[in-house]
Amino acid sequence: MLENNTFDQKLLEMLTTITSEGIKNAADGFSGMIGRKIEVSNPSLELVPLLTIPEIVGGPEDDAVGVYLRFEGDMPGQIMMIIPYQKALELADLLMDAPAGETKQLGTLERSALGELGNLCGSFFLNSLAKTVRANFRPSPPAVMVDMVGAILDVVVATAGGVNEHVLLVHSNLMDGNRSVKTDFWVIPDMKALQNLISKNYAYD
Amino acid sequence: MTNPISVGLGEIVISKNPEDVLVAYGLGSCLGISMIDPANRVAGLLHAVLPDTLNGAENETPASGKYIDHGIENLLSLMAQAGANRNRLAIRMAGGANMLTSPGLKSTFDIGTRNIEKARAVFQKLNLKLTAEEVGGNKGRTVRVYVAENRVTFKVIGEVEQDL
Repeated sequence: MLENNTFDQKLLEMLTTITSEGIKNAADGFSGMIGRKIEVSNPSLELVPLLTIPEIVGGPEDDAVGVYLRFEGDMPGQIMMIIPYQKALELADLLMDAPAGETKQLGTLERSALGELGNLCGSFFLNSLAKTVRANFRPSPPAVMVDMVGAILDVVVATAGGVNEHVLLVHSNLMDGNRSVKTDFWVIPDMKALQNLISKNYAYD
Repeated sequence: MTNPISVGLGEIVISKNPEDVLVAYGLGSCLGISMIDPANRVAGLLHAVLPDTLNGAENETPASGKYIDHGIENLLSLMAQAGANRNRLAIRMAGGANMLTSPGLKSTFDIGTRNIEKARAVFQKLNLKLTAEEVGGNKGRTVRVYVAENRVTFKVIGEVEQDL
């Protein structure tokens, strides 16, 4: 079971550095894909009790789009991007090069574009991680969900919940100039990933 | 006036107050299991997350609903404590969706299906009969239990509320 004392200050600092780099890299990938500069807020790390996760994102019945990746390798874990539904429509406009407001609902094509975006951000993130910690990562294909926030987050809760009472949440916002894209970018490392991180990399610092 | 009471992840709420509406918002792979004794007007709702208690761990607390095995038993005994008659219970279950439909992820992570199977096994073991269910698929559901009306509903995103 993952408990507070697993996370000493040093591990948290290390994770903050690694994930900050990763998320900046993901934002660069994002910028390249939509052709505009995407800024990224400084990621914050939180140790969150599993059962309170839906409340962190706001109303569990709010409509949202979730893009999910699972990654295997030396340091397995999960990545979930959560975008409020209205923002996802705007993003789809950007991705499909359509005038703002044209996308009214998410069809197969729009979902696929959003999945690709998640895939790209995830890959850029994992590439950066792979370099920093010298480990390899194998991401799954992206899964795109359009549903209530609570239902989307059940994926995280259910897959992490068998072993952990708390999950480590790396939380960041991606912003597009004046317009905020406001994308929650969550990284949830498996327990095994943290153990490997401690044992392999603690010494070299 | 109705009074919505949110039943969060791993929670069980019992009510005898006719103004209460017990709500489990946005169930994905989670299961919402309701029990109602219409004669004594006692209603309860469980929001269970995972099928089994791991490694035979202790039942966390008598009100814990995180795991389906202990959750159903806890719901049943809390209903009895509140005056419900076991033989009159209308039991309904909703949720257990498979949220991840991407190829390659499905089989490993289909916790929704495992939750449904576990719940059915527990009902059988406890000799309880299900009145209605709305389970599986790949859409999230919100479940509401209207205490005054002995009524349970579910709602899917973009659709209207329906009786269960």
